[in-house]
Amino acid sequence: MLLKKQPVPGKIRHIVLLLCIVAMMCSCASRKVFSTNYYAENEKTLTSIEQLYKAIYAQKHFSVAFTDKSFEYISLEILTDSIKYIYEFNIKEPRLQDTLVKYGLPVKDFTDLITQMSSIHCIWINNLDYYTNNQRHSLVFMSIRHVAIHLPFTSEKYYILTFYSQPQFFDAEGNLLAGRRLRKLRLVNGDTFRRINDKVCYTISERFR
Amino acid sequence: MVKPVYLSKMMKLFICSLLTCLICVSGTGVFANNTIDTTPLSTQKQALAYLDKQPELKASNFWPRVEPTLFMQNLRKNVVTPLSIYEGRSTNFCAYAALSYLPLHDDPLAYVTFMLKLYKDGKAVYGIEYFEPTKEVRRVAGTLNFKGELDVRPADQLWFLSLADHFKGYLNFLDNHYNPGDENKMWAAVNFAKFNRMVRNLFNYEVHAVGSDLLRPGVVDVVDYLSEKLQSGTVAMFVNNLDLYKKNHTKLKLGVPTHFVILLGVEEIEKDKIAITYWDYGFRSRQILSPKFLKKIIFGITHATKKTAGAR
Repeated sequence: MLLKKQPVPGKIRHIVLLLCIVAMMCSCASRKVFSTNYYAENEKTLTSIEQLYKAIYAQKHFSVAFTDKSFEYISLEILTDSIKYIYEFNIKEPRLQDTLVKYGLPVKDFTDLITQMSSIHCIWINNLDYYTNNQRHSLVFMSIRHVAIHLPFTSEKYYILTFYSQPQFFDAEGNLLAGRRLRKLRLVNGDTFRRINDKVCYTISERFR
Repeated sequence: MVKPVYLSKMMKLFICSLLTCLICVSGTGVFANNTIDTTPLSTQKQALAYLDKQPELKASNFWPRVEPTLFMQNLRKNVVTPLSIYEGRSTNFCAYAALSYLPLHDDPLAYVTFMLKLYKDGKAVYGIEYFEPTKEVRRVAGTLNFKGELDVRPADQLWFLSLADHFKGYLNFLDNHYNPGDENKMWAAVNFAKFNRMVRNLFNYEVHAVGSDLLRPGVVDVVDYLSEKLQSGTVAMFVNNLDLYKKNHTKLKLGVPTHFVILLGVEEIEKDKIAITYWDYGFRSRQILSPKFLKKIIFGITHATKKTAGAR
Protein backbone atom coordinates (compact mmCIF):
# COMPACT_ATOMS: atom_id res chain seq x y z
CA MET A 1 0.00 0.00 0.00
CA LEU A 2 1.37 3.36 -0.90
CA LEU A 3 1.61 5.80 1.97
CA LYS A 4 0.81 9.32 1.07
CA LYS A 5 2.96 11.99 2.68
CA GLN A 6 0.64 13.97 4.94
CA PRO A 7 1.21 17.71 4.68
CA VAL A 8 1.82 19.50 8.03
CA PRO A 9 -1.13 21.74 8.66
CA GLY A 10 -0.20 25.37 8.11
CA LYS A 11 -1.24 26.51 11.59
CA ILE A 12 0.99 23.98 13.42
CA ARG A 13 3.88 24.79 11.13
CA HIS A 14 3.55 28.48 11.99
CA ILE A 15 3.45 27.79 15.73
CA VAL A 16 6.55 25.57 15.57
CA LEU A 17 8.36 28.17 13.49
CA LEU A 18 7.40 30.92 15.95
CA LEU A 19 8.64 28.87 18.93
CA CYS A 20 11.94 28.21 17.18
CA ILE A 21 12.40 31.92 16.47
CA VAL A 22 11.63 32.84 20.10
CA ALA A 23 14.09 30.20 21.38
CA MET A 24 16.78 31.44 19.02
CA MET A 25 16.22 35.04 19.99
CA CYS A 26 16.40 34.17 23.68
CA SER A 27 19.62 32.22 23.28
CA CYS A 28 21.30 34.90 21.21
CA ALA A 29 20.02 37.93 23.06
CA SER A 30 22.64 39.98 24.87
CA ARG A 31 20.32 41.15 27.57
CA LYS A 32 20.55 44.77 28.42
CA VAL A 33 20.22 43.81 32.04
CA PHE A 34 20.70 47.19 33.55
CA SER A 35 19.94 50.60 32.36
CA THR A 36 23.05 52.62 31.72
CA ASN A 37 21.63 55.09 34.20
CA TYR A 38 21.49 52.51 36.99
CA TYR A 39 24.24 54.14 39.02
CA ALA A 40 22.79 57.64 38.59
CA GLU A 41 19.32 56.43 39.58
CA ASN A 42 20.56 54.65 42.71
CA GLU A 43 23.63 56.72 43.53
CA LYS A 44 22.39 57.83 46.94
CA THR A 45 21.70 54.29 48.16
CA LEU A 46 24.84 52.84 46.57
CA THR A 47 27.06 55.50 48.15
CA SER A 48 25.34 55.01 51.49
CA ILE A 49 25.96 51.23 51.33
CA GLU A 50 29.60 51.79 50.43
CA GLN A 51 30.15 54.26 53.28
CA LEU A 52 28.35 52.10 55.82
CA TYR A 53 30.28 49.01 54.76
CA LYS A 54 33.58 50.87 55.03
CA ALA A 55 32.69 52.13 58.50
CA ILE A 56 31.79 48.64 59.78
CA TYR A 57 34.77 47.08 57.98
CA ALA A 58 37.08 49.46 59.84
CA GLN A 59 35.86 47.86 63.08
CA LYS A 60 35.86 44.26 61.91
CA HIS A 61 36.81 42.77 58.57
CA PHE A 62 33.88 40.97 56.97
CA SER A 63 31.92 40.38 53.77
CA VAL A 64 28.27 39.57 53.30
CA ALA A 65 26.22 37.95 50.52
CA PHE A 66 22.56 37.19 49.97
CA THR A 67 22.35 33.55 48.94
CA ASP A 68 18.71 33.22 47.86
CA LYS A 69 16.37 34.94 45.44
CA SER A 70 14.02 36.16 48.16
CA PHE A 71 16.80 38.00 50.05
CA GLU A 72 16.14 36.15 53.30
CA TYR A 73 19.40 34.26 53.76
CA ILE A 74 22.87 35.68 54.07
CA SER A 75 26.35 34.21 54.04
CA LEU A 76 28.51 36.14 56.46
CA GLU A 77 32.30 35.85 56.37
CA ILE A 78 34.13 37.26 59.38
CA LEU A 79 37.90 37.58 59.22
CA THR A 80 40.04 37.35 62.32
CA ASP A 81 43.85 37.39 62.42
CA SER A 82 44.13 33.66 62.00
CA ILE A 83 40.90 32.32 60.55
CA LYS A 84 37.88 33.21 58.44
CA TYR A 85 34.50 32.16 59.86
CA ILE A 86 31.79 31.47 57.31
CA TYR A 87 28.19 31.44 58.56
CA GLU A 88 24.81 31.19 56.88
CA PHE A 89 21.79 32.81 58.53
CA ASN A 90 18.19 33.67 57.95
CA ILE A 91 18.20 37.43 58.51
CA LYS A 92 15.39 37.07 61.09
CA GLU A 93 17.27 34.48 63.14
CA PRO A 94 18.32 35.55 66.66
CA ARG A 95 21.58 33.63 66.06
CA LEU A 96 22.63 36.35 63.62
CA GLN A 97 22.55 39.07 66.28
CA ASP A 98 24.36 36.84 68.78
CA THR A 99 27.11 36.23 66.23
CA LEU A 100 27.43 39.93 65.39
CA VAL A 101 27.79 40.74 69.10
CA LYS A 102 30.28 37.91 69.59
CA TYR A 103 32.60 39.26 66.89
CA GLY A 104 32.13 42.94 67.75
CA LEU A 105 30.12 43.95 64.69
CA PRO A 106 27.64 46.81 65.33
CA VAL A 107 24.19 45.20 65.14
CA LYS A 108 22.22 48.31 64.12
CA ASP A 109 24.64 49.38 61.39
CA PHE A 110 24.87 45.84 60.08
CA THR A 111 21.06 45.54 59.97
CA ASP A 112 20.89 48.89 58.14
CA LEU A 113 23.49 47.66 55.68
CA ILE A 114 21.69 44.45 54.73
CA THR A 115 18.32 46.26 54.58
CA GLN A 116 19.75 48.79 52.12
CA MET A 117 21.46 46.04 50.14
CA SER A 118 18.21 44.13 49.89
CA SER A 119 16.33 47.27 48.77
CA ILE A 120 18.44 47.56 45.59
CA HIS A 121 19.10 43.82 45.16
CA CYS A 122 22.76 44.11 46.07
CA ILE A 123 23.81 40.52 46.76
CA TRP A 124 27.47 40.77 47.73
CA ILE A 125 29.77 43.32 49.26
CA ASN A 126 33.41 42.75 49.93
CA ASN A 127 36.75 44.48 50.33
CA LEU A 128 39.29 43.44 47.68
CA ASP A 129 42.99 44.15 47.66
CA TYR A 130 44.91 45.05 44.53
CA TYR A 131 48.50 46.06 43.86
CA THR A 132 50.11 48.84 41.88
CA ASN A 133 53.92 49.23 41.88
CA ASN A 134 54.12 46.60 44.63
CA GLN A 135 51.90 48.75 46.86
CA ARG A 136 48.76 47.30 48.33
CA HIS A 137 45.46 49.16 47.87
CA SER A 138 41.90 48.15 48.48
CA LEU A 139 38.53 48.68 46.83
CA VAL A 140 34.93 47.97 47.72
CA PHE A 141 33.37 45.37 45.43
CA MET A 142 29.59 45.31 45.10
CA SER A 143 27.38 42.95 43.03
CA ILE A 144 23.79 43.69 42.07
CA ARG A 145 21.41 41.08 40.79
CA HIS A 146 18.83 41.66 38.13
CA VAL A 147 15.60 40.15 39.43
CA ALA A 148 13.37 40.61 36.41
CA ILE A 149 12.06 37.56 34.56
CA HIS A 150 14.95 35.29 33.71
CA LEU A 151 15.01 34.38 30.05
CA PRO A 152 15.56 30.74 29.20
CA PHE A 153 18.87 29.73 27.54
CA THR A 154 20.64 32.76 28.99
CA SER A 155 23.10 32.84 31.86
CA GLU A 156 22.56 34.97 34.93
CA LYS A 157 24.24 38.38 34.75
CA TYR A 158 25.37 40.59 37.60
CA TYR A 159 26.07 44.28 37.64
CA ILE A 160 29.38 44.79 39.42
CA LEU A 161 30.52 48.09 40.90
CA THR A 162 33.99 48.84 42.23
CA PHE A 163 34.64 51.82 44.51
CA TYR A 164 38.22 53.06 44.75
CA SER A 165 39.76 55.37 47.32
CA GLN A 166 41.82 57.27 44.73
CA PRO A 167 40.90 58.52 41.25
CA GLN A 168 41.69 55.91 38.58
CA PHE A 169 43.01 56.13 35.01
CA PHE A 170 40.95 55.38 31.90
CA ASP A 171 41.50 55.18 28.17
CA ALA A 172 39.55 57.25 25.62
CA GLU A 173 36.73 54.67 25.58
CA GLY A 174 36.39 54.81 29.35
CA ASN A 175 38.05 51.45 30.09
CA LEU A 176 39.85 51.15 33.42
CA LEU A 177 43.63 51.15 33.04
CA ALA A 178 46.29 49.57 35.23
CA GLY A 179 48.01 52.90 35.90
CA ARG A 180 48.82 56.35 34.64
CA ARG A 181 51.75 55.22 32.50
CA LEU A 182 50.45 51.73 31.82
CA ARG A 183 48.11 51.56 28.86
CA LYS A 184 47.19 48.03 29.89
CA LEU A 185 43.59 47.37 31.00
CA ARG A 186 43.17 46.58 34.70
CA LEU A 187 41.27 43.37 35.38
CA VAL A 188 39.32 42.78 38.58
CA ASN A 189 38.32 39.14 39.11
CA GLY A 190 39.18 38.57 35.48
CA ASP A 191 36.79 41.26 34.16
CA THR A 192 37.51 44.60 32.51
CA PHE A 193 35.72 47.63 33.96
CA ARG A 194 34.34 50.89 32.58
CA ARG A 195 34.21 54.35 34.04
CA ILE A 196 31.23 55.77 35.93
CA ASN A 197 33.24 58.51 37.58
CA ASP A 198 36.90 58.91 38.64
CA LYS A 199 36.52 56.52 41.56
CA VAL A 200 33.68 54.24 40.55
CA CYS A 201 33.67 51.63 37.75
CA TYR A 202 31.24 48.99 36.55
CA THR A 203 31.03 45.82 34.55
CA ILE A 204 28.50 43.12 33.73
CA SER A 205 29.66 39.67 34.78
CA GLU A 206 28.42 36.09 35.02
CA ARG A 207 29.93 35.72 38.50
CA PHE A 208 28.98 37.86 41.42
CA ARG A 209 32.14 37.21 43.47
CA MET B 1 84.67 -39.14 36.93
CA VAL B 2 81.66 -37.29 38.09
CA LYS B 3 78.51 -38.20 36.40
CA PRO B 4 76.38 -35.30 35.20
CA VAL B 5 73.28 -34.84 37.28
CA TYR B 6 70.13 -34.66 35.23
CA LEU B 7 67.27 -32.90 36.97
CA SER B 8 63.74 -33.81 36.27
CA LYS B 9 61.35 -31.16 34.94
CA MET B 10 59.51 -31.02 38.26
CA MET B 11 62.79 -30.58 40.14
CA LYS B 12 63.76 -27.64 37.88
CA LEU B 13 60.43 -26.01 38.49
CA PHE B 14 60.82 -26.45 42.24
CA ILE B 15 64.28 -24.90 42.24
CA CYS B 16 63.10 -21.96 40.15
CA SER B 17 60.20 -21.34 42.51
CA LEU B 18 62.51 -21.54 45.50
CA LEU B 19 64.92 -19.03 43.98
CA THR B 20 62.07 -16.65 43.14
CA CYS B 21 60.78 -16.83 46.69
CA LEU B 22 64.26 -16.18 48.06
CA ILE B 23 64.66 -13.11 45.84
CA CYS B 24 61.25 -11.81 46.91
CA VAL B 25 61.93 -12.37 50.61
CA SER B 26 65.32 -10.72 50.44
CA GLY B 27 63.73 -7.90 48.45
CA THR B 28 61.26 -7.30 51.24
CA GLY B 29 64.10 -7.30 53.68
CA VAL B 30 65.97 -4.73 51.66
CA PHE B 31 62.92 -2.45 51.48
CA ALA B 32 62.19 -2.94 55.16
CA ASN B 33 65.60 -1.67 56.09
CA ASN B 34 65.82 0.88 53.32
CA THR B 35 66.27 4.32 54.75
CA ILE B 36 66.12 5.90 51.28
CA ASP B 37 62.44 5.19 50.69
CA THR B 38 61.27 7.49 53.44
CA THR B 39 59.60 10.87 53.21
CA PRO B 40 62.34 13.47 53.56
CA LEU B 41 61.79 15.80 56.50
CA SER B 42 63.40 19.01 57.69
CA THR B 43 62.57 21.92 59.95
CA GLN B 44 61.78 25.58 59.47
CA LYS B 45 65.01 26.38 61.33
CA GLN B 46 67.11 24.36 58.87
CA ALA B 47 65.45 26.05 55.90
CA LEU B 48 66.01 29.54 57.34
CA ALA B 49 69.63 28.70 58.17
CA TYR B 50 70.13 27.56 54.56
CA LEU B 51 68.64 30.83 53.26
CA ASP B 52 70.83 32.85 55.65
CA LYS B 53 73.93 31.06 54.39
CA GLN B 54 73.29 32.03 50.79
CA PRO B 55 75.50 34.74 49.30
CA GLU B 56 73.65 37.69 47.85
CA LEU B 57 71.44 36.37 45.07
CA LYS B 58 72.17 37.78 41.63
CA ALA B 59 69.48 38.39 39.02
CA SER B 60 68.88 35.20 37.07
CA ASN B 61 69.29 35.03 33.31
CA PHE B 62 66.71 32.29 33.24
CA TRP B 63 64.02 34.27 35.07
CA PRO B 64 64.49 37.81 33.78
CA ARG B 65 61.34 39.24 35.43
CA VAL B 66 61.88 37.72 38.88
CA GLU B 67 63.66 40.26 41.03
CA PRO B 68 66.15 38.45 43.37
CA THR B 69 65.41 40.45 46.54
CA LEU B 70 61.67 39.94 46.23
CA PHE B 71 62.28 36.28 45.38
CA MET B 72 64.25 35.72 48.59
CA GLN B 73 61.69 37.65 50.66
CA ASN B 74 58.95 35.46 49.22
CA LEU B 75 60.83 32.23 50.01
CA ARG B 76 61.48 33.38 53.56
CA LYS B 77 57.83 34.32 54.03
CA ASN B 78 56.71 30.89 52.79
CA VAL B 79 59.01 29.17 55.28
CA VAL B 80 58.02 31.37 58.23
CA THR B 81 54.27 31.47 57.47
CA PRO B 82 53.55 28.46 55.25
CA LEU B 83 49.81 29.08 55.31
CA SER B 84 50.29 32.40 53.56
CA ILE B 85 51.12 30.90 50.15
CA TYR B 86 48.43 32.23 47.84
CA GLU B 87 47.25 30.88 44.50
CA GLY B 88 45.96 34.23 43.27
CA ARG B 89 42.57 35.42 42.19
CA SER B 90 40.98 33.86 39.05
CA THR B 91 43.85 31.41 38.45
CA ASN B 92 43.81 27.60 38.20
CA PHE B 93 46.68 27.29 40.67
CA CYS B 94 44.67 25.99 43.65
CA ALA B 95 46.00 22.42 43.35
CA TYR B 96 49.62 23.61 43.25
CA ALA B 97 49.01 25.81 46.29
CA ALA B 98 47.32 22.94 48.14
CA LEU B 99 50.17 20.50 47.54
CA SER B 100 52.67 23.16 48.68
CA TYR B 101 51.20 22.69 52.15
CA LEU B 102 53.20 19.44 52.46
CA PRO B 103 56.79 20.60 51.78
CA LEU B 104 56.28 23.93 53.53
CA HIS B 105 55.23 22.12 56.71
CA ASP B 106 57.29 18.93 56.56
CA ASP B 107 60.35 19.64 54.43
CA PRO B 108 60.91 23.36 53.84
CA LEU B 109 64.66 22.80 53.34
CA ALA B 110 64.06 20.69 50.20
CA TYR B 111 61.62 23.33 48.93
CA VAL B 112 64.02 26.28 49.31
CA THR B 113 66.97 24.26 47.96
CA PHE B 114 64.99 23.36 44.85
CA MET B 115 63.69 26.89 44.36
CA LEU B 116 67.16 28.45 44.60
CA LYS B 117 68.65 25.92 42.20
CA LEU B 118 65.80 26.44 39.73
CA TYR B 119 66.25 30.21 39.98
CA LYS B 120 70.02 30.10 39.50
CA ASP B 121 70.32 27.31 36.91
CA GLY B 122 66.93 27.27 35.20
CA LYS B 123 66.66 23.54 35.95
CA ALA B 124 66.50 21.40 39.06
CA VAL B 125 65.32 18.06 40.44
CA TYR B 126 62.57 17.69 43.02
CA GLY B 127 61.85 14.17 44.26
CA ILE B 128 61.96 12.03 41.14
CA GLU B 129 61.02 14.87 38.80
CA TYR B 130 63.43 16.83 36.63
CA PHE B 131 62.26 20.38 35.95
CA GLU B 132 63.42 22.52 33.05
CA PRO B 133 60.65 25.08 32.54
CA THR B 134 59.95 26.34 29.04
CA LYS B 135 61.12 29.73 27.83
CA GLU B 136 57.57 31.11 27.80
CA VAL B 137 57.06 30.23 31.46
CA ARG B 138 60.45 31.62 32.48
CA ARG B 139 59.65 34.89 30.73
CA VAL B 140 56.24 35.36 32.33
CA ALA B 141 57.13 34.49 35.95
CA GLY B 142 57.21 37.70 37.95
CA THR B 143 54.84 39.52 35.62
CA LEU B 144 51.46 37.99 36.57
CA ASN B 145 49.20 40.73 37.86
CA PHE B 146 45.63 41.57 38.90
CA LYS B 147 45.66 38.44 41.05
CA GLY B 148 45.76 39.97 44.51
CA GLU B 149 48.78 39.19 46.65
CA LEU B 150 50.21 36.80 44.04
CA ASP B 151 51.19 39.97 42.11
CA VAL B 152 53.91 40.64 44.71
CA ARG B 153 55.00 37.01 45.29
CA PRO B 154 57.39 36.24 42.39
CA ALA B 155 58.69 33.00 43.92
CA ASP B 156 55.14 31.64 44.13
CA GLN B 157 54.53 32.63 40.52
CA LEU B 158 57.71 30.80 39.50
CA TRP B 159 56.75 27.70 41.55
CA PHE B 160 53.14 27.45 40.33
CA LEU B 161 54.05 28.11 36.69
CA SER B 162 56.86 25.54 36.79
CA LEU B 163 54.56 22.89 38.26
CA ALA B 164 51.83 23.60 35.70
CA ASP B 165 54.41 23.56 32.90
CA HIS B 166 55.92 20.26 34.02
CA PHE B 167 52.99 18.07 35.06
CA LYS B 168 50.37 17.20 32.46
CA GLY B 169 47.08 15.40 32.82
CA TYR B 170 44.25 14.70 30.42
CA LEU B 171 42.72 18.13 31.12
CA ASN B 172 45.82 19.73 29.62
CA PHE B 173 45.85 17.79 26.34
CA LEU B 174 44.23 20.55 24.33
CA ASP B 175 46.19 23.36 25.95
CA ASN B 176 49.62 22.03 26.89
CA HIS B 177 51.78 24.95 25.82
CA TYR B 178 51.84 28.20 27.79
CA ASN B 179 50.42 31.35 26.23
CA PRO B 180 49.80 34.61 28.11
CA GLY B 181 46.72 34.28 30.32
CA ASP B 182 46.90 30.47 30.41
CA GLU B 183 47.30 30.51 34.19
CA ASN B 184 43.52 31.08 34.29
CA LYS B 185 42.74 28.40 31.73
CA MET B 186 42.91 24.65 31.12
CA TRP B 187 46.69 24.80 30.74
CA ALA B 188 46.94 25.02 34.54
CA ALA B 189 44.02 22.70 35.36
CA VAL B 190 44.61 19.70 37.60
CA ASN B 191 42.60 16.49 37.67
CA PHE B 192 42.50 14.26 40.75
CA ALA B 193 44.98 11.65 39.48
CA LYS B 194 47.47 14.34 38.48
CA PHE B 195 47.26 15.88 41.96
CA ASN B 196 48.03 12.54 43.62
CA ARG B 197 50.87 11.84 41.17
CA MET B 198 52.45 15.20 41.96
CA VAL B 199 52.33 14.51 45.72
CA ARG B 200 53.87 11.05 45.30
CA ASN B 201 56.60 12.00 42.85
CA LEU B 202 57.69 15.28 44.39
CA PHE B 203 57.52 14.62 48.11
CA ASN B 204 57.53 10.80 48.38
CA TYR B 205 54.46 10.46 50.58
CA GLU B 206 52.36 7.35 50.88
CA VAL B 207 49.22 8.48 49.09
CA HIS B 208 45.85 6.83 49.49
CA ALA B 209 43.11 8.41 47.40
CA VAL B 210 39.39 7.77 47.10
CA GLY B 211 37.06 9.42 44.59
CA SER B 212 37.51 10.68 41.06
CA ASP B 213 36.96 13.62 38.72
CA LEU B 214 33.30 12.77 38.12
CA LEU B 215 32.08 10.31 40.72
CA ARG B 216 32.02 10.92 44.45
CA PRO B 217 33.95 8.57 46.75
CA GLY B 218 31.93 5.65 48.02
CA VAL B 219 32.43 6.56 51.65
CA VAL B 220 29.41 5.83 53.84
CA ASP B 221 30.14 8.18 56.74
CA VAL B 222 32.26 10.96 55.31
CA VAL B 223 32.70 12.75 58.65
CA ASP B 224 34.01 9.62 60.40
CA TYR B 225 36.24 8.86 57.44
CA LEU B 226 37.77 12.34 57.36
CA SER B 227 38.24 12.44 61.15
CA GLU B 228 40.03 9.10 61.09
CA LYS B 229 42.32 10.11 58.20
CA LEU B 230 43.22 13.40 59.85
CA GLN B 231 44.64 11.48 62.81
CA SER B 232 47.40 9.93 60.73
CA GLY B 233 48.27 12.34 57.96
CA THR B 234 47.42 15.28 55.75
CA VAL B 235 44.06 15.30 54.00
CA ALA B 236 43.38 17.16 50.75
CA MET B 237 39.86 17.38 49.33
CA PHE B 238 38.81 17.86 45.71
CA VAL B 239 35.56 19.79 45.95
CA ASN B 240 32.90 21.49 43.89
CA ASN B 241 33.85 25.12 44.29
CA LEU B 242 30.60 26.49 42.90
CA ASP B 243 28.82 24.98 45.86
CA LEU B 244 31.45 25.68 48.50
CA TYR B 245 31.75 29.30 47.44
CA LYS B 246 28.43 30.21 45.92
CA LYS B 247 29.29 32.19 42.82
CA ASN B 248 26.03 32.50 40.99
CA HIS B 249 22.35 31.76 41.44
CA THR B 250 22.00 29.45 38.48
CA LYS B 251 19.97 26.39 39.37
CA LEU B 252 21.60 24.14 36.80
CA LYS B 253 25.21 23.85 37.82
CA LEU B 254 27.86 21.57 36.46
CA GLY B 255 28.32 18.99 39.23
CA VAL B 256 32.06 18.58 38.91
CA PRO B 257 34.92 19.33 41.28
CA THR B 258 37.07 22.34 40.49
CA HIS B 259 38.95 23.20 43.65
CA PHE B 260 41.52 21.65 46.01
CA VAL B 261 41.59 22.48 49.72
CA ILE B 262 43.58 21.11 52.65
CA LEU B 263 41.37 19.84 55.43
CA LEU B 264 42.56 20.93 58.87
CA GLY B 265 39.69 19.80 61.08
CA VAL B 266 36.23 18.31 61.05
CA GLU B 267 33.83 17.97 63.97
CA GLU B 268 30.17 17.36 64.55
CA ILE B 269 29.00 20.36 66.57
CA GLU B 270 25.34 19.38 66.84
CA LYS B 271 22.89 17.09 65.12
CA ASP B 272 23.16 17.59 61.34
CA LYS B 273 25.82 20.29 61.67
CA ILE B 274 29.45 19.74 60.82
CA ALA B 275 32.17 22.35 61.31
CA ILE B 276 35.01 21.96 58.84
CA THR B 277 38.23 23.91 58.98
CA TYR B 278 40.21 24.02 55.77
CA TRP B 279 42.99 25.93 54.11
CA ASP B 280 42.80 27.65 50.74
CA TYR B 281 43.56 31.09 49.25
CA GLY B 282 46.30 31.70 51.83
CA PHE B 283 43.95 31.50 54.79
CA ARG B 284 42.23 29.12 57.16
CA SER B 285 38.42 29.02 56.99
CA ARG B 286 35.88 27.46 59.30
CA GLN B 287 32.46 26.72 57.86
CA ILE B 288 29.38 24.99 59.20
CA LEU B 289 27.68 22.59 56.82
CA SER B 290 25.24 19.72 56.93
CA PRO B 291 26.76 16.23 56.48
CA LYS B 292 24.62 15.82 53.36
CA PHE B 293 26.02 19.01 51.80
CA LEU B 294 29.57 18.04 52.74
CA LYS B 295 29.13 14.67 51.06
CA LYS B 296 27.67 16.39 48.00
CA ILE B 297 30.62 18.73 47.42
CA ILE B 298 33.45 16.20 47.95
CA PHE B 299 34.61 14.30 44.87
CA GLY B 300 38.06 13.24 45.97
CA ILE B 301 39.88 12.67 49.25
CA THR B 302 43.66 12.31 49.32
CA HIS B 303 45.31 10.99 52.43
CA ALA B 304 49.07 11.58 52.45
CA THR B 305 51.16 9.97 55.15
CA LYS B 306 54.88 10.14 55.76
CA LYS B 307 56.87 7.06 54.82
CA THR B 308 59.09 6.09 57.70
CA ALA B 309 61.91 3.56 57.80
CA GLY B 310 60.00 1.02 59.87
CA ALA B 311 56.64 1.54 58.17
CA ARG B 312 57.00 -1.35 55.77
